[in-house]
Amino acid sequence: MLEEYRSKNVEVYSDKEWLEADATEERVPEKKTAFTDFTKKLFRHKGAIVGAVIIFLFIFSAIFAPLLTPYDYDVPDISSVLEAPSGTHLFGTDEFGRDILTRIVYGSRISLEVAFIAVFFSLILGTVLGAIAGYYGGVVDYIITSITDIAWSFPTTLLAIAFIAALGTGVQNVIIAIALASWSGYCRVVRGQFLSLKQREFIEAARVLGMSDARIIFGHILPNALTPVVVMATLELPKAIVIEASLSFLGLGAQPPVPSWGVILDSGKGLLDMAPWVSFFPGLMIMIVVLGFNLFGDALQDVIDPNSQ
Amino acid sequence: MVPVLILMTLIVFMIFYFAPGDPVSRIAGPNVTQEVYDNIMQKHGLDQPFVVQYFKFAKSVVKGDLGISILQDRPVVEMIRERLPVTLQIGLLGFLITFIIAIPAGVIAAVKKNTVVDYLCMSGSLLGIAIPTFWFGMLLLYVFAYKLRWFPISGDGTIKQLVLPAFAIGLTNAAITARMVRSSMLEVLKQDYVRTAKSKGLYEKTVVYSHALKNAMIPIISLMGLRLGWIIGGSVALEIIFSIPGIGRLMVDSILARDYPVVQGAMIVLTSSIIFANILADILYSVVDPRIRYS
Repeated sequence: MLEEYRSKNVEVYSDKEWLEADATEERVPEKKTAFTDFTKKLFRHKGAIVGAVIIFLFIFSAIFAPLLTPYDYDVPDISSVLEAPSGTHLFGTDEFGRDILTRIVYGSRISLEVAFIAVFFSLILGTVLGAIAGYYGGVVDYIITSITDIAWSFPTTLLAIAFIAALGTGVQNVIIAIALASWSGYCRVVRGQFLSLKQREFIEAARVLGMSDARIIFGHILPNALTPVVVMATLELPKAIVIEASLSFLGLGAQPPVPSWGVILDSGKGLLDMAPWVSFFPGLMIMIVVLGFNLFGDALQDVIDPNSQ
Repeated sequence: MVPVLILMTLIVFMIFYFAPGDPVSRIAGPNVTQEVYDNIMQKHGLDQPFVVQYFKFAKSVVKGDLGISILQDRPVVEMIRERLPVTLQIGLLGFLITFIIAIPAGVIAAVKKNTVVDYLCMSGSLLGIAIPTFWFGMLLLYVFAYKLRWFPISGDGTIKQLVLPAFAIGLTNAAITARMVRSSMLEVLKQDYVRTAKSKGLYEKTVVYSHALKNAMIPIISLMGLRLGWIIGGSVALEIIFSIPGIGRLMVDSILARDYPVVQGAMIVLTSSIIFANILADILYSVVDPRIRYS
């Protein structure tokens, strides 16, 4: 039995080891190797590296936007209206003579802000709802699951548009709308995890010890249920970026002169024949950033759970 | 289905009921006299409690009455009826293109796993997933309408106006669908009955197409229902890019003009069609796979 586990690379302690492991110093190195093993695997994955580089560049340009470009994103320059890409304006200029590259670099700040905040809140919302549904079961579970299933079957963009219709336009409302429209995935995953984890012995033990529900849910089950949630969040970030861009493109999100990628695309829509570069480059940026997050998220999933495809 | 529809109308109603801002000023503007204000309150039943208002709303939705547009002063149903066909046409055409491309690509990639063909299909799919649908639509518009002049630049009412938006939607959706077809197919190819079929000497092609594909299609069918919703959601931006007067465009215009009854009506129609598509997929699912029974 022991040999079988050992051969499968599962951590197994003999009685003596267990006693030693009780001293905390003994267990720390174990954890460390598991973590380094994980990072090693991740950085042997080609997709993970490409994805990580793209994400790094994206975050870097968002943070250091003012240092990266000599131009201002919202100062018109009538001497250089609708210039094609050249040495001075790498991505060309728009109808007000503003440098497209500059606007894209500043736009990455909005994409980054919206994506991270919206995903953070939808993750919290979905996780808490999923935890409650999975842990308590019964009527509570039925109600939460029904609402989740409906939210799940609707395209996120359409739901976000509905919330924008109620809330009004603007970057802040886009964040709220995306958060409210995309929590259902987390809820489903967390609920599933809770359903199986709450049957396990260590939870039984916690209950017998008289721990409060909140402590069992947040202290004991949730930490064990978080891995798939983190992977999911990595894959939700690019979706949030695209939804923000689509909403702004439709005039329902960020409003000009805010240099959101969607706003730039919208301004390029009418100039497609005259100045295709205005809409070409922001779209290309969205594609590259989304690709980066998807590659990284897929790699994360591969490394954590090699059996999934 | 009924509870789902009830919940859906409740959600749509709630979104607008709890929206910040005074409903009367949404209808009549901010500067009205007290008398006009009270009149509007009464006319639209806004002075009634939430539950009463919701039941009134739900009752008229069931009767097929979606209210009257504030801006155009016409029944919302009439406006939607004019706009719905073109959206459905784009959606169905896009849906067809999605599966005509995705199923062969996914099957070939799975059968030829880890070969050049597989890598090509999967790289294409990775790119397709990353491309924003509306931007892809703009690229198609630029190349095929502005440069090559094969298709009209804006909606001209002919069948030709549907081709580019349908391709934009079909190709981007095909990317993600092909990936799912591939993994579903790989799952099936691992099964014992496939190995049995192979070992009793059947041709590779017979095994793949008549044994494996049939079983791999089962999860794909329920996927189709979900995809249809996404296709409808994606067509909103495309209708704007290609200047096609569909329901998505109507919805966006009405949101910007704060014409709430039209927004609500469009939402109800779009969401019920998505629910309907999902139910259809479920039924189809149980027909294809006799192991599944709905009680």
